[in-house]
Amino acid sequence: MKRWPKIDIRHYRYGNLDARSVIVLLCLALPVPLMLVAGQEHTSTPPASPSGTPGKFVDITERSGINFRYQASHTSKKYLPETMAAGVALFDYDNDGRLDVFLVNGAPLGDPTPKGTIPQKTGPQYWNRLYHQKTDGTFKDVTEKAGLKGTGYGMGVAVGDYDNDGYEDLYVTAYGGNKLYHNNGDGTFTDVTQKAGVGGSGWSTSAAWVDLDGDGFLDLVILRYLEWDFDDIWCGEHKEGYRAYCHPDFFKPVSPLVYHNNGNGTFTEVAAKLGLARPGKGLGLAIADYDRDGHIDLFVANDSMVEFLYHNKGNGTFEEVGLPSEVAVDIDGRTYAGMGVDFADYDNDGWPDIVVTDLANQRYALYRNDGDGSFTYASTTAGISNMTLAHSGWGIRFLDYDNDGWKDLLIAQGHDLDTVELTLPNLRYREPMLLARNTGKNFVDVSAESGVIFRKPWVARGMAIGDLDNDGRVDAVVNTNEGPTYVVHNETPTENHWILLKLTGHQSNRDGIGAEVKAVTASGAQFATVTTTSSYLSASDKRVHFGLGKNGVVQEIQVRWPSGVVQTLKDVRANQILQIDEPSGSARW
Amino acid sequence: MLVAFFVACVCSIASSGQTSDDLALGLSEFSKGNFSLAAALFARAEEAAPGTTDALLYESKAYIHLEQFTAAEGALRRYLLAHATSSDALYLLGYVLHREGKAAESLETYTNAAQHRTPAGDDLKIVGLDYVLLNDYPDAIKWLEKAVEAEPKNKEAWYFLGRAYYTKSSIPEARKAFLTVLQLDPRDAKAENNLGLILESEAQPEAAMDAYRKAIAWQNQSLRPSEQPYLNLGSLLMEQSRVSESIPLLQKAIELAPGNAICRLKLGTAYLRLGKLTDAQRNLEKAVQLAPDDPAAHYQLGKLYKVMKALDRAKAEFDRTAELQSRAASSKPQ
Repeated sequence: MKRWPKIDIRHYRYGNLDARSVIVLLCLALPVPLMLVAGQEHTSTPPASPSGTPGKFVDITERSGINFRYQASHTSKKYLPETMAAGVALFDYDNDGRLDVFLVNGAPLGDPTPKGTIPQKTGPQYWNRLYHQKTDGTFKDVTEKAGLKGTGYGMGVAVGDYDNDGYEDLYVTAYGGNKLYHNNGDGTFTDVTQKAGVGGSGWSTSAAWVDLDGDGFLDLVILRYLEWDFDDIWCGEHKEGYRAYCHPDFFKPVSPLVYHNNGNGTFTEVAAKLGLARPGKGLGLAIADYDRDGHIDLFVANDSMVEFLYHNKGNGTFEEVGLPSEVAVDIDGRTYAGMGVDFADYDNDGWPDIVVTDLANQRYALYRNDGDGSFTYASTTAGISNMTLAHSGWGIRFLDYDNDGWKDLLIAQGHDLDTVELTLPNLRYREPMLLARNTGKNFVDVSAESGVIFRKPWVARGMAIGDLDNDGRVDAVVNTNEGPTYVVHNETPTENHWILLKLTGHQSNRDGIGAEVKAVTASGAQFATVTTTSSYLSASDKRVHFGLGKNGVVQEIQVRWPSGVVQTLKDVRANQILQIDEPSGSARW
Repeated sequence: MLVAFFVACVCSIASSGQTSDDLALGLSEFSKGNFSLAAALFARAEEAAPGTTDALLYESKAYIHLEQFTAAEGALRRYLLAHATSSDALYLLGYVLHREGKAAESLETYTNAAQHRTPAGDDLKIVGLDYVLLNDYPDAIKWLEKAVEAEPKNKEAWYFLGRAYYTKSSIPEARKAFLTVLQLDPRDAKAENNLGLILESEAQPEAAMDAYRKAIAWQNQSLRPSEQPYLNLGSLLMEQSRVSESIPLLQKAIELAPGNAICRLKLGTAYLRLGKLTDAQRNLEKAVQLAPDDPAAHYQLGKLYKVMKALDRAKAEFDRTAELQSRAASSKPQ
């Protein structure tokens, strides 16, 4: 007998202070005009919230100069890629101190599309787009000049300086083959995919630049979703208007691709050699050293199968430990539709935690790191379960929107089935974003009081975060499926202090990706990992942001670089963007 | 349906003038509920005058009451040798084959029966349930809809129609069907329990719990109360972190359905969360025994062994979980 089925319809060790490593203190470069214009949407102070400080997030898309619409090319055949994309990248490609925006786009699909087709872009409406941020905070489309129009049916994007030349490069994933674009440092990019040998195949999704073997060069991890082709499979009810996207169970899982950076512009595929080749249905990817053994680990959000936690054994290989670490399934041992993910320390205990978005009725999965190699499913006790029960989430990030020293949650939402309301009338295909405030004890949904955008239903997918205007408050850019991209500006009124840390590696990879940062104030310690990867299909600002509450000084900043070098700064002033260069000394942990 | 059939049989006997003592005695015992004795008497009557009476038909009916469907099928098939066009026997055989899980044969028999008499709502209901057994929900819904059209007050047909809709995630239609059941019988616990499931799927846990509580209260007077509302309420309370409250409900569910692996799994998991490891071990090991291919049961048992520091056993359970999950992830045919 069965229960009647439910509807299916996811060691910091620091050395001594080395003040010489503080090379540059960057002044704020506020794009004042945009800030003033953007602030006009809400001029009154939000009402006091019983749950604490609400946010104030404002849609400034129209004024930003970004006018982008993701072309999913929906068909009557309900080809699965149509509902899955796309990603966003926030990165500073020209090193002018201001974040730029890269948006991934689709391609036309025939209705029907013959099996074996690799869709190709056919016109400007399908181009990927690069928007350069000008000094006034608005954006200019520089796609053609940059040479980033792209080719195939795009999915995700990863950002990293793979050749350590000081300029961020782009890796764009797609259905049918990916592209590596080398940043030439003059505002242009060169497609070096073939030379680098990283084109891949199949249906790629999220990707990460991360130095897996500590050689100072970023390697490339690329998730793939399913063994899938343009077959005419009818899913959903056999009546007009009810055809639906197929459940991933209809398709076989597929191995990810892992490319080792040879340090000479070429890469070698090593997924099996490294123990990272387990077939999955990967959508979300995030990195952190969850057991503090000094080696970066990987978490893979798989759709409707067990989630993967790849533990770095320290010898260049990995072992998958999701089930024994208790992050592979939900509290009842059920799999869920893992999509977006973040891997960060939300409870300030020094151990990176994990959050995974999934579909309505599954509840987003929050795993609190117990510090012993295990995690505890904390969605229910932390307030996430009830808050997310009726929602479907994709892009997700821990971010401290009010700079109070606790990492909150911002989530891009929308169901994958455009027919969901026909069968489950109280669920929604289009959903507003969700903002959950971290009170230090649990999470509270403050969306309703945090701005109009949290009442606007979008089919949101990819989301990247970053401080667009360098005002110390973290913003977001959200891509929607067959819809516009939204620039979401954080205008939360707060007197709280903050600091942004921009790390530059010298022994380590130049981005400092994988470095662990600890910030200590009178209120306690906070921890973060330098990364561009997490959320869903997206790449975020690599700079590390800490909200500092009422503390105008950071007593101590400690950085453990991927090289093993440990660097400590003392009594650092708040409210600045601090450039930290990896010292050349041998203070290794 | 069976009572009506029995009355029809009695009339048939009287009108045909059959006088066999065994046949009359059998009918008498049948009416008293002594089905085993009745079956034996009907068999003897048939033996005395093979093929000349309806004894085999009655014998099959007695076996149906005894839930001995193989024997019932045998009696009916022998009866049909002499009465090949008997619609009563054919419809009854269709029902018996359904109860035996022989859905395709049942459908074939119903098709044959329908050539001799228009099917009643109950017959259409069984046809629909045959399609459920064949995992053909569109056809199941089609025939269950015909059943309620033929008999708008057929509560069971509405209930099964609701279940078919629910399984196909047609929630508005399922809700309507269960509400119709409740119009016909305002204290139908099964329908109320299913409304609870719908409310859960709609992310309304408080309303769902209310429905489960009502279902539990309404079925208290039932001779055969179901474990389902206890299981559903207990499970939902666990999801709300109200684990202690879930324990007595899950215990009751197991009392009602000792062989239900899900009940064991839930109770074992609840004990695990409360740190009652011995109780957790007993129930989780039983759950794995009852459902050896359920990855969730192996996962919870792995977690328990890990807490108990039985790491080798934990690893074995996690490995088994991974194997089963991997199999499930690519199990659906294209």
